[in-house]
Amino acid sequence: MGLEKFKDRNVGTQNYIKLDLTHPPKDGWSKFKQVLSRAVQPELFVGLWVTLREMNNALFRGKMHTTQYPLEKLPISPRYRAIHDMLRLLESGHYRCIGCGLCEKICISNCISMDTRYDENQRKEVSEYTINFGRCIFCGYCAEVCPELAIVHGGRYENASEQRASFSLFEDMLTPIDNLNLQQEYQGFGAISPNADDNIKKTPLAY
Amino acid sequence: MSEMQSVENMVSIKIDGVEYKAKEGEYILNAARANDIFIPAICYLTRCSPTLACRICLVEADGKQVYSCNAKVKEGMEITTTTPNILEERRAIMEVYDVNHPLQCGVCDQSGECELQNYTLELEVDSQSYSIPDTKRETKNWSSVLHYDAGLCIVCERCTTVCKDMIGDAAIKTTKRGGAALDKSLRGNMPKDAYAMWNKLQKSIIAPSNGTENTDCSDCGECVAVCPVGALVSRDFQYTTNAWDLKRIPATCAHCSSGCQIYYETKPTSISDRTEKIYRVTNEWNYVSLCGAGRFGYDFENRVESKDTKAFANAITAFNKAKVINFTSVITNEEALMLQTLKEKKGIKLINREARAFQIFLDFYSKASGNSLYTTDFKEVMKSDFVMSLGTSLRNDNPNARYAFNNVQKMNKGAGIYFHPVGDTLVPTFGRTIEVFNHKVGYEEAVLLLIIELFADKDKLPNSVKEQLDRAKLVEALGGDSAKFEKSFDKMMKKKEKFSLIVGEDLYFHQKAENIAKLIAVLENCSDIKVAMIPPKTNSLGVALICDLDDEADGFTIGYNASGDFRLSALGDGDLDMPAMNQQEGTLTNMHKRVTPTNAGLDYHGYTLNDIMKEVLSAPTHTIDWTPLLPTDKGFKAIDFDSLPNGYSNDGTENRGYLLDTSTVEVGDIEVNKFDDSIALDGEIAYRCNPQRQFSDFTDKAHQIFEEFALYASPKKAESLGKRVVVEFDNGNLELDVKVDDRMAGDIVAIPDFKSAENIYELFGASRYQKVIIREV
Amino acid sequence: MDATILPEVTAVGVIIKAVLILAVISAIAGFGTYIERKVLAFMQRRLGPQHVGPYGLLQLAADGIKLFTKEDIIPQHANKIIFSVAPAITAATAFIALAAVPVFPDFTIPFVDVFVPSIASDVNVGILFVLGMMAAGLYGPLLAGMAQSNKWGIIGSARTAIQFLSYEVVTGLSLLAPIMMVGSLSFVDFNDYQSDGTWLVVYQPVAFVLFLIAGYAETNRTPFDLLEHEAEIVSGYVTEYSGMRWGMFFIGEYANMITIGVIASVVFLGGYNDWWIFAGWFMILAKIAFSFFFMLWVRAAWPHVRPDQLMWLCWKVLMPLAVINVVITGLVMMAG
Ligand code: SF4
Ligand code: SF4
Ligand code: SF4
Ligand code: SF4
Ligand code: SF4
Ligand code: FES
Repeated sequence: MGLEKFKDRNVGTQNYIKLDLTHPPKDGWSKFKQVLSRAVQPELFVGLWVTLREMNNALFRGKMHTTQYPLEKLPISPRYRAIHDMLRLLESGHYRCIGCGLCEKICISNCISMDTRYDENQRKEVSEYTINFGRCIFCGYCAEVCPELAIVHGGRYENASEQRASFSLFEDMLTPIDNLNLQQEYQGFGAISPNADDNIKKTPLAY
Repeated sequence: MSEMQSVENMVSIKIDGVEYKAKEGEYILNAARANDIFIPAICYLTRCSPTLACRICLVEADGKQVYSCNAKVKEGMEITTTTPNILEERRAIMEVYDVNHPLQCGVCDQSGECELQNYTLELEVDSQSYSIPDTKRETKNWSSVLHYDAGLCIVCERCTTVCKDMIGDAAIKTTKRGGAALDKSLRGNMPKDAYAMWNKLQKSIIAPSNGTENTDCSDCGECVAVCPVGALVSRDFQYTTNAWDLKRIPATCAHCSSGCQIYYETKPTSISDRTEKIYRVTNEWNYVSLCGAGRFGYDFENRVESKDTKAFANAITAFNKAKVINFTSVITNEEALMLQTLKEKKGIKLINREARAFQIFLDFYSKASGNSLYTTDFKEVMKSDFVMSLGTSLRNDNPNARYAFNNVQKMNKGAGIYFHPVGDTLVPTFGRTIEVFNHKVGYEEAVLLLIIELFADKDKLPNSVKEQLDRAKLVEALGGDSAKFEKSFDKMMKKKEKFSLIVGEDLYFHQKAENIAKLIAVLENCSDIKVAMIPPKTNSLGVALICDLDDEADGFTIGYNASGDFRLSALGDGDLDMPAMNQQEGTLTNMHKRVTPTNAGLDYHGYTLNDIMKEVLSAPTHTIDWTPLLPTDKGFKAIDFDSLPNGYSNDGTENRGYLLDTSTVEVGDIEVNKFDDSIALDGEIAYRCNPQRQFSDFTDKAHQIFEEFALYASPKKAESLGKRVVVEFDNGNLELDVKVDDRMAGDIVAIPDFKSAENIYELFGASRYQKVIIREV
Repeated sequence: MDATILPEVTAVGVIIKAVLILAVISAIAGFGTYIERKVLAFMQRRLGPQHVGPYGLLQLAADGIKLFTKEDIIPQHANKIIFSVAPAITAATAFIALAAVPVFPDFTIPFVDVFVPSIASDVNVGILFVLGMMAAGLYGPLLAGMAQSNKWGIIGSARTAIQFLSYEVVTGLSLLAPIMMVGSLSFVDFNDYQSDGTWLVVYQPVAFVLFLIAGYAETNRTPFDLLEHEAEIVSGYVTEYSGMRWGMFFIGEYANMITIGVIASVVFLGGYNDWWIFAGWFMILAKIAFSFFFMLWVRAAWPHVRPDQLMWLCWKVLMPLAVINVVITGLVMMAG
């Protein structure tokens, strides 16, 4: 597979409607014709009709658009990128993060910071972990790069606060241990693709 | 270096069809590297012997498959770096390395600079064809600094090689691990070299060579540096950060006069404390080898958060009334020049004991020989094949002198003679043809006479020397057996071409220093031997060249990292704080006669010596503005600090700072005194000598340097002394714990001088050896 | 109607009428903002204000409280006197114009027997007076924009000058034809002229359309809201205003909208004559309300024009049409 496919950043088709600006009226007569045709066309009344129709739809046909936000909430996509969650292993309940530091490295706003250490079980332990949400731009790179599917974006988007830079600690983002059964796999950036199994070669294990 | 290249014979070779020049007798791999051509290689270490552990460096030379790290270039050789068969071998080798290798790059300390990762990707290994049951491999702590994860080890033997060939400890070796045997059917079915490599890999693991769980070594950490994977790491560093988060600051180690190239690698301390901290020290390990002090003794910085204006005002007052400045050699050339300026402009006397002794000795030497500076350096010593050492405790005084001595034995099939009053059990293990003379203290002249007798062209010798030469008598006087020595000397001299002598601090602190210097001059004049001198402390050479030091002085004294009425201190315990060496930029003059730049690894927010200079006299804006002002008549060059390079090129050329200019003038005949053994010492003798990894208060401050301030003695001697003793000198007493140094032999005890507060120099006076009385308490 | 039956217009009556107009129109202006928001919302299928009071009705009160309590800022380099007076000019001219316009039918307050006329002051040149007053309203935005030492303000006032002055011409010319037909400048005469049930719009459709367009321009409504068009000049002449001063511009604007509605109703749409089964007072209210609604409707439906298009429209289209209309009206009258 060549790289060209990946290098072509011009993805998607744009549906721009191009105006035909090639023939502006030149002489007086054609200008007059243009004025006349614009004056005679009932476009203004079409506009009036449309707004009136929509008012009718809204008032009498129950087609009001408004979601009354704090009382009603729209469902958000599982791919939505809001405040991060730190997931746990379902089997052991241990947090998934291994402290590899890739999220810290890739973060383009440089807002992740972590301390690690050698723990009593001879493992790398994440002793502290923070995300500075005053700087995070919710780009999702951290979730994408995480090899453990440990850091993901959650659905918590109501994060107005008195301080612009509020920090989140590891404990704040970690799935509470008693809610482990409610923990959901993330579908967005960095999640395993449905055909992942087909894309990997397996290591021989027969001996 | 370019000058040297033209001297050596060059041959032309063809690599992948392109013609290149290479040094005759060089390995293909090194020739390729020197010409910027990439050949994969894992196990080979420049400056060490090839081990052929990895076999990935296969190339085709004149139609035959050879290991490029082990095959030498020949005139007209045609080399192909890749053939289909070689590629197949290489890929198979990488696949084999990846069999059962733990998938823990995510947490591994090597991650990001791992050669296993790199080559796996380089050779595009995207699938695995081999498998074998794994064996449990335990992780172990080998010493207070070494952590070994056998699971990650690929048994490339780089660690064992560097430990043996460079460091000389040979503290680790490959041992059996009892892995499953390879399926016989693989033999014909997989690439040959890959099979052979795997066969060995499956059987071996690395372990301390003394058969215990712990290494008995100098804890230099070179094995950690050379390990291509995360198998060997420093215990302190493990899992604390990722390599890619560290900022690399090129610098020069400030602990001893080797002036090794190092990088300080820094990062903020923690989430809550954003001040930068040094996490580790790394080096260009192919071209320079550090000792434990340089590698682990890095956190000696003086954390100063703001300028203490009151202390500064006091300092100015102190400087204005100062008569004397007392300082150490842990100082940059620039600062030394500032002090010299103070002397010139304000008549302040400068006191620096170790540099002064060295200065006087150098003076005697150049008066006698006409050379402005000693004639060789330790890079050259490494290329010789017969090396002698006199007047230095090789294991303790200067690690790079020791590495050179050892490397000569291992790489050049060399021979060596070690002259020293203090017995040492390690040096004889460096090679098979090493003679050791544990001569009496005060017999250093006799040693030089013996060397002259052994190597000099007798016709050229001045009469005053000639009449003192009697080989048998001299050998006997130095405690050897002349008949036995004759025999072994003959063996040692076989096929030897290049001779060198290392001399050290014992000779500078010696009653007969002048006569000794003359003898050295005679030796150089009349033989092929080149002499390299070890400056006593970090920048003693620089200080000796730049400053006009005084012998004695009194009056109001300013101590800079030393005692005085007003103390400037980079240790944080003085009247005004100064930046430590890892917080300073400037240059150091090392024992290789090289002026090397060092950079600030950490911030410093207080006052510097230059600030004081600005107030007291006048000074340029920055300390480094002094760099081009260093005295050119002493060999320094008028080069701006910012244009000094600091690195190595691919062929190993050292591009760090510049070499001092040296000159030679014609001198007349040398008249030496008759050797007189009346100054020899008998009885209980103390030797001023630091334990390995300790050089000064700064190494002592570092948290990973554990060697204590104590009396060190051989196991036997220690037993007879007891636990804690009082050492009585002529001019004072010292109470110390007794520590065993199991590599010492004989009755002489070692007393360290790294703690300046203990005033050890006062107790020892003008000699490194003193007669003492030792009582148990 | 027989003039002799009418009771005498007393000073007390006029004052009561004036206070009445002031109070009611101000309230309506405020209420107008609520209506505007609601109507625009519905047309875009939104809900509009709805949290303060039932259906958001008390939004009006909330806004009032906000406007009164908001800090009144006068910019540092502004001309303070003019800056302070300008909103008052706008509001005052708008209300003075209403003095000559019939609002509500006549009535007599019972017991005290005070007669309150439908027109506070039935000057016989009512139309001229109203037009003049509305033209004088030009000073409000003009001075406001120039006094605030703000570039957007300056642009706003420049636009005020050209827009108001230009469209004044069209308003005048478009009304000239009906005036010629009625032969009077009094609103009462216009009303009476149409008492037979035939609205003047039937005779003067062109004049009616021209008047509407010019009226929108003079009240600074979409599609001619160039004076404070936020996409271009932040807020034009009101950029630096806040609090009640800003509120006065608003009230002025809404009062003017009502005035235009009244003129259109009286001059072209049959005035307060009874129609079919509907009483005259109801008819006039309905017509004014519709004309108000139409302004909102237009705002929801149409985009605004560029300044150059505005000028082009005025001088090259509307003004010639108005002149032609006057000429044709004159010719027809002479022939008739
Ligand atoms: S979402 Fe983007 S900006 Fe935010 S923490 Fe992750 S990588 Fe950084
Ligand atoms: S990338 Fe994932 S596993 Fe690695 S440190 Fe970040 S959260 Fe932890
Ligand atoms: S040694 Fe290299 S390949 Fe092995 S786990 Fe560490 S980084 Fe990965
Ligand atoms: S510990 Fe490291 S250097 Fe030593 S053999 Fe293993 S992989 Fe090689
Ligand atoms: S102490 Fe000396 S030998 Fe050790 S690293 Fe520093 S300069 Fe090199
Ligand atoms: S580098 Fe040559 S065999 Fe390993």
